[in-house]
Amino acid sequence: MLKDRLLELFKKYEQDVQQVVAEVLTLEQEHISMERPRVKEQIKDIIDRVVKDEA
Amino acid sequence: MRLERITMENFRQYYGRQRLTFSKDPQRNVTVIHGVNGAGKTSLFLAINWCLYGEGVSNVGELISKEAISRAQPGETVQTLVELAFTHNGERYLVSRRLSGVKQPDGSIAINSQDDFTMMRIQWDGQAQRVNNPIGTMNAILPSNVRTYFLFDGEKIDNFAKPEASDEVRYAIYNVLKLEVLTRARRHLEDVAAEYRRELKRVSTGELRELVEREEKARKEKEQALARKEELEREIESARRKIADIDQRLREIQDARALQQQRERIERDLKQRESELRELVEEIRGIATSSFVTIAHPAIERALAILDEKRERGEIPSNIRQQFIQDLIERLQCICGRPFELNSPEHDRLLALMNSSFPGSLEDEVLDTSAALRPLVERGQALKEGLDKAMRRRTNLLDLIQAREEELDDVRRQLKGSPQEEISRLEKQRQDFQADIESYRLEQGNLDTRIEALNKQIAELGKQIEKAKKAESKERLLTRKASLAQRAADAIDEMYQVFADEMRQRIEAETKKIFKQLIWKDSHFQDIRLGPDYNLEVIDRYGLPARPELSAGERQVLSLSFITAMARVSGEEAPLVMDTPFGRLSSYHRNSITEHLPELADQLVLFVTDEELRGEARRNLEPRIGAEYRLEFDRRTSCTEIIEVRS
Repeated sequence: MLKDRLLELFKKYEQDVQQVVAEVLTLEQEHISMERPRVKEQIKDIIDRVVKDEA
Repeated sequence: MRLERITMENFRQYYGRQRLTFSKDPQRNVTVIHGVNGAGKTSLFLAINWCLYGEGVSNVGELISKEAISRAQPGETVQTLVELAFTHNGERYLVSRRLSGVKQPDGSIAINSQDDFTMMRIQWDGQAQRVNNPIGTMNAILPSNVRTYFLFDGEKIDNFAKPEASDEVRYAIYNVLKLEVLTRARRHLEDVAAEYRRELKRVSTGELRELVEREEKARKEKEQALARKEELEREIESARRKIADIDQRLREIQDARALQQQRERIERDLKQRESELRELVEEIRGIATSSFVTIAHPAIERALAILDEKRERGEIPSNIRQQFIQDLIERLQCICGRPFELNSPEHDRLLALMNSSFPGSLEDEVLDTSAALRPLVERGQALKEGLDKAMRRRTNLLDLIQAREEELDDVRRQLKGSPQEEISRLEKQRQDFQADIESYRLEQGNLDTRIEALNKQIAELGKQIEKAKKAESKERLLTRKASLAQRAADAIDEMYQVFADEMRQRIEAETKKIFKQLIWKDSHFQDIRLGPDYNLEVIDRYGLPARPELSAGERQVLSLSFITAMARVSGEEAPLVMDTPFGRLSSYHRNSITEHLPELADQLVLFVTDEELRGEARRNLEPRIGAEYRLEFDRRTSCTEIIEVRS
């Protein structure tokens, strides 16, 4: 799968970066049909959660 | 995505409810739908697109079957519905899109503004569960921006192979290979990181560090002050001991003894008086604390005078009680027993009296106030007398202390002026030590004041530090968030080109492989190149670009090779649905494509005319056909019926 290959490329980055990238790519994919998707708050939620999980 | 079944109800020329089941057998993965021009191939193709994406329709009013509209009564609701069942990654889905309208008296239809799109996930036990985010889920399965590369019109397919088509090629790769998703993710993460940085700038003041430094400085200064105080205390003790030694020595010298003993007596007395003075000062302070009564004394006396004056004039208590007047008004009867009318002069007079009289409760309160004020006057008087007495005692004590100080000075002068050198020297030393002690005491006093100020400052700084720590904790969190968002954006930025180049090279290789399989002049066309500029180029045996010379059929083969390559590289589990794919192809290409295409796609749905699929092409496809239908157009009703030929 294309997505698997894509995520494989990010394996060399830190775990938190990998998690954010994977979740944000899924989010963007879900909103791909929108010209101007409003995903900023959802991205902030993802980052917030990953930072808290790390703490 | 693998299509299972489509059900249409009153969709364009498909009147009533009609169903078509696609072949899912991996060995027979081809579904063929035959129809002459105008029979309804494009409508069926459109039904798939409209159901999944609500797109591909310029006039929604034309979606509802004209036959269904003509049969309806004015005011009656007519609807069209397309249902599509498919599987994806082991899950079964059922999506439906419904559009309705009301038939108007003139025969037209007023369409309801919004179509209704629903998606259900079918559980293993056959139960259907509604998908809450159908558009998002559909975008994850087969996004609308890539649908045209999987569901396409065969007659327009050669667009990718035209010399000017590099933008379209780039756009296709960009969408199918999720480069658009990467670009958006990077941009949005950058935006979020920038927002965190702006917020960080707002909350970050560097205040905590400064406050901690100030607190450390204050604590250090306090420690130094306390150390100096202890040092001074030691100095004082040392000076005292030296004074005690001198006093002892003076007591031992005959000529100084009497004066020294006199000094000791005066000092004892002075100590006693100073102690008395301290106690007296405390007493005066106590009296002064309750002296508000004394300050208020003139006002209290004035209030009492007013109340007494009113009592003397007979206004308090009043002669006539309010309740008595109220009773007369209610009975409409005078004191003498004579009745009177409402609004009569007698009635008005009683009302006026009522308004000018005090209510009984107020009268009681005024009398109570008067009673409460009198003891205050007496207390104020007593306090004033007590304060005067204490002040007089203080003056006396101060005079006495001054007198004793003068006596001490006199003793000191006599000792210092003694003709005996030792006495004079000892007294001088004693006075120096005494002056030292006073200096030390003064310094100690200053240090106490400073320590008190430092304690206050440290306490205040402590509070500010706690507050700043909270702010800094937010600052730290924001810093981490900004860093994470930026690192994620940077990672995508770094990987984007790596991924794009890798995908481009894989598409190039795959396109070349497929093109070589499908083209009959395979020895003439030596290579396919997809450069970094996304220019899809065919290289001939002379090593020269050959695309401008390609025939329409060859261009179509090149485009089909490119699309199939993209689908394979993308790894998307998706069907290839092709409307009239072979119309412009010569028999060689048609035969070649029908031979190889079923292997290149997971599922193949072909909308064809009978002319497109005959002879060798038909024979090539025959073993791979799992389902076959014919679209029968009825000239009498202008409706199409789906006839199953093979399933």
